[in-house]
Amino acid sequence: MKTKTNAKRNQKIRLFAIAVLSLFVILTGALLSYSSFKKGEFSGGILGIVIVIIILGFAVFIYRRGNRDLKEGYPLQDERSKRVMQKAMATTFLVSLYLLLAIGWLSEDLIKFRDVSQATGVAIGGMAVLFLAFWIYYNKTGV
Amino acid sequence: MKTRIKEFRAKQNLTQEDLARKVGVRRETIIFLEKGKYNPSLQLAHNIAKALKTKIDELFIFNKN
Repeated sequence: MKTKTNAKRNQKIRLFAIAVLSLFVILTGALLSYSSFKKGEFSGGILGIVIVIIILGFAVFIYRRGNRDLKEGYPLQDERSKRVMQKAMATTFLVSLYLLLAIGWLSEDLIKFRDVSQATGVAIGGMAVLFLAFWIYYNKTGV
Repeated sequence: MKTRIKEFRAKQNLTQEDLARKVGVRRETIIFLEKGKYNPSLQLAHNIAKALKTKIDELFIFNKN
């Protein structure tokens, strides 16, 4: 009984940590967007807003689902959801190698990045979007 | 892989939600298992078989191909 209560408490802490982490990422995205607009870089600003909206939507979905499941007595994560996460992470890693290569090649001619940090930001944002897409895909189709 | 989870669950008068709570997994896992879209670990297969009062080899049918 005590173990069950501890597990439930740990899951609540985990859900809270997810919410806090998401908030930090959203704040970072908002700051990136704000500083880009301030410097007159509209593409960077819009990219920041898009990242914030995607992460905000995902965080709200995860938090609401997790809260409902905890109330109904289901675990936050089980072996299938862990496997989905692992597969999505592995595929994201593999595909992001090509994404990084593409950014490297395109930055020579097509896309002009302000500096390395902006290119890195775009790569990280792209990886986050890829992870989200693969997570949704594997969650729907099964692993 | 085919499963007979749905059949055994009906025999025990359990809903997907009940079975999920009994074996400590999420509802979607039971749905995917019943559709044969997820291969469970041996531990989970054992827990489900125990919850449905049957044996693993009666619950899961493996295709040779």
